[in-house]
Amino acid sequence: MAKQLGFYFDASGCTGCKACAIACKDRSDLPVGINFRKVYQYGGGSWANDPQNPGVATPNNIFVYSLSAACMHCQDPICVEVCPVSAITKRDDGVVLIDKERCIGCRYCEWACPYGAPQFNEEKGYMTKCDFCQDLQAQGQNPVCVDACVMRVLKFGELEELKAEYGNVAAIEPLPIAELTSPSLVITPHKHAQISGQGTGHILSVEEG
Amino acid sequence: MNIREWALLTFTILGQLAAGMMLVLMIVRAYVTSKVGVAEADRMTDIPMFMVVPIMGLALLASLLHLNNLVNVVKAVPNMGSSWLSREVVLAVAFAVVAVVYVFLQWRKTGSNSLRNVIGWIGAIIGIVLTCSMPMVYMLRTIPVWNTPMTLITFCVTALLLGTLGAAAALAVNYFIIQKQDSKASAKQLELLRDVIQSTTIAAIILLGVEFLVLPLYMAYLGTSALESLKLMTGTYGTVLVIRLLLVFGGAGVLGTYLFRTASSAGKERLMATLVYSVFVLVLVGEVMGRFLFYATNLRVGL
Repeated sequence: MAKQLGFYFDASGCTGCKACAIACKDRSDLPVGINFRKVYQYGGGSWANDPQNPGVATPNNIFVYSLSAACMHCQDPICVEVCPVSAITKRDDGVVLIDKERCIGCRYCEWACPYGAPQFNEEKGYMTKCDFCQDLQAQGQNPVCVDACVMRVLKFGELEELKAEYGNVAAIEPLPIAELTSPSLVITPHKHAQISGQGTGHILSVEEG
Repeated sequence: MNIREWALLTFTILGQLAAGMMLVLMIVRAYVTSKVGVAEADRMTDIPMFMVVPIMGLALLASLLHLNNLVNVVKAVPNMGSSWLSREVVLAVAFAVVAVVYVFLQWRKTGSNSLRNVIGWIGAIIGIVLTCSMPMVYMLRTIPVWNTPMTLITFCVTALLLGTLGAAAALAVNYFIIQKQDSKASAKQLELLRDVIQSTTIAAIILLGVEFLVLPLYMAYLGTSALESLKLMTGTYGTVLVIRLLLVFGGAGVLGTYLFRTASSAGKERLMATLVYSVFVLVLVGEVMGRFLFYATNLRVGL
């Protein structure tokens, strides 16, 4: 069994099509307002007056890139730490799961998680989040987000193997710094990617929640 | 602010009021006992202590409003090992239980006075730990706006300020109840009440000073670690901040000084009581607004 499963995301190749998020939403039959996987557009830069042509503005460091994020099944999961009733546990393979039978719906994990992973389902009355498609994985299949990716930039596997193949980057803007919770994530940064905590841009896809 | 956050606001404010009152009343009780004996102490603090119970009851009721599965609360094994929320829940229930036991024993005068005092002090100490556990719930490494010792200090100052003034108000209410029952016996009580109210007012003025010292430090911290939250506090909620400060300053500072002078001279018990209630209400509303700002300026980091 894997020691710590993780996701790999190649930000340099993502077109921001959101197929991963839609496949996830469909598979888990999620209501409006809840998305276990979200794709964020992060951008910034400005327009500057062209000194050669006064009155003419030219793009100045304008950039945008996409980032697909779900529960990071962190190695140091703050949701597990803070849950008052031990409803969130970390399995031997590193997958972080919510036990709906134990959850009291206090939404404390939602506050604590810097990835917005645990989301409260009003209808069901308990917290929900990405479970790494554990049922599919048990049958030897891939998580649906991985299979749905049009650009083949989303993968999953043993975290150490992903790191060996793709490096150690676990955070770029708009993700929080990796030191907070040690996310099980490996990223190939986009060429315009900014270091977490030092970004000059902002999330552009805010209206998607 | 949503209903859930209002529930948490109500729980933390009332919980801190109850815990603070219990502590202050135990101190008052010890002081009065040493001065004039247990009988007067009982007469002075029994009813005010009783008031702690419904306040804490309301706090616990409010806390339930932010949960969605009440059945599981009973079933759940608390995660005391790592979750401050779990510790807070256990401490809040423990505080309420000890307060009820203490009030019941005091009412029936069951057991010796020292035993009842021990139980009362256990309650007061649990109240202190409960008050300290509340800010720990919010001091999460993923929430910079709250993750500062200032959160701990402000919560404790609020508990002491509300506890001191709440106790003073409850003692004043108690005096008029006693006076109705037996106007002769109340002369001694009035003297004690004036004495205690002078001390609690001085304590409140000192705590006001601490609060006004901590706020700029907290704002300076926000300026370096959570600039957007500072902008919210001084911009969008600037009016709330100003009114909050005016209420606490006007209550504990201005009216508090007047109250101290009134309590120093005899024969003004009606005015003194009106002032005690006014100071308490003004500071309570001011602290509620302060707690509102605490929740309203929380901005998520990351996604």
